Amino acid sequence: MPWVLAAIVAVAIVVVVFLAKRGPHQEPGVVNFRKHIDALSPEARREVMDRVRPTRDDSSNTDHGTGG
Amino acid sequence: MARDLAIDLGTANTLVYMKGKGIVLNEPSVIALNRQTGEVLATGREAWQMIGRTPGYIVAVRPLRGGAITDFEITERMIRLLLQRVGVSRFTRPKVVICVPSAITEVERRAVTDAARRAGAADAQLIEQPMAAAIGADLPIDEPVGNMVIDIGGGTSETAVISLGGIVALEAVRVGSFDIDASIQAYVRREHGIAIGERTAEEVKVAIGSAAVTDDESQAEVRGRDLMTGLPKTVVLTPEEIRFAIDDVVSSIIASVVRCLAKAPPELAQDFLVRGMYLVGGGGLLRGLAQRIEKETQVPVRMSNMPLEAVVMGAGHCIEHYDALKGMFMGARR
Repeated sequence: MPWVLAAIVAVAIVVVVFLAKRGPHQEPGVVNFRKHIDALSPEARREVMDRVRPTRDDSSNTDHGTGG
Repeated sequence: MARDLAIDLGTANTLVYMKGKGIVLNEPSVIALNRQTGEVLATGREAWQMIGRTPGYIVAVRPLRGGAITDFEITERMIRLLLQRVGVSRFTRPKVVICVPSAITEVERRAVTDAARRAGAADAQLIEQPMAAAIGADLPIDEPVGNMVIDIGGGTSETAVISLGGIVALEAVRVGSFDIDASIQAYVRREHGIAIGERTAEEVKVAIGSAAVTDDESQAEVRGRDLMTGLPKTVVLTPEEIRFAIDDVVSSIIASVVRCLAKAPPELAQDFLVRGMYLVGGGGLLRGLAQRIEKETQVPVRMSNMPLEAVVMGAGHCIEHYDALKGMFMGARR
């Protein structure tokens, strides 16, 4: 019996410590919106811009009209 | 495992961005077919060179007009060939994000996604061109400020106000730079009595076309077929004539920009006076267009650094951050 009690107390302590460390709960909507906005930041976009710029310099002579 | 792709399926040009690599294909949206057998003879640049110069059994066509698919079967074949050229096979099926005009109908939407899936895509998502253009033009659309983008393509012109990663106001017209070419063709036929092809009209537009008076104006010699005699004939066109010929199209584009400005909430509208509007798309390269829009709207107009690639770059960014940005895809918001 003391073993069981000790185990319950230990588990309770672990749960309390875990919850205390986890910080405030965030709504999934807030998390997703944050992710969405962060993915649109200039820093996030830098990679694509840097990747395309050299391509553009190479293909600057490919003009097939001004339509998009 | 195939790399995921972003496609700017434009009326004039098709650009493909490959995840992790950048732009891997940039070609005219043209396909040449054998009229008798239905066989594909050429696509892209090679097919573009055939426009108006083919023997009777070959037809070189643009399967998209006004940003819409005019021939579903041909478009599907063109997409399949494009995907094959960038390494997609039956065994490597990538996720694909395709840029489409915002005014696309439900039927057209399904036609594009079906065409991409049948052409080898594991999943096909659509994104509105002005949204992709704003991302690709590097506008701060993640901030709560008014960003305005004007995307003038071959068959459509779209103006959007974007803030906090979403479209606030949108205005689209099915008018673009091909309509400018058609106006030049019609003018030369009507006023000079000669017939010219669409490629010649486009060359005239590039050489001397303008939406407003510019500093470096010159005349252009144009060769065509005399409608009365049937013989080849040369005429000289002036920039004033071309401005007159294309004025209806230019005015229609500017009117849609004005309508979009009127739809914007006042809090965002004041941002435009400071930040200006951004012009993207090949049609935006028409000389004097930025000045004319600026004059008629009293809002500064700036040209994007990479007007021809902005849309595919924006879609490319969406494919790079697919999970975080999938809420932007057209189906996700319905």
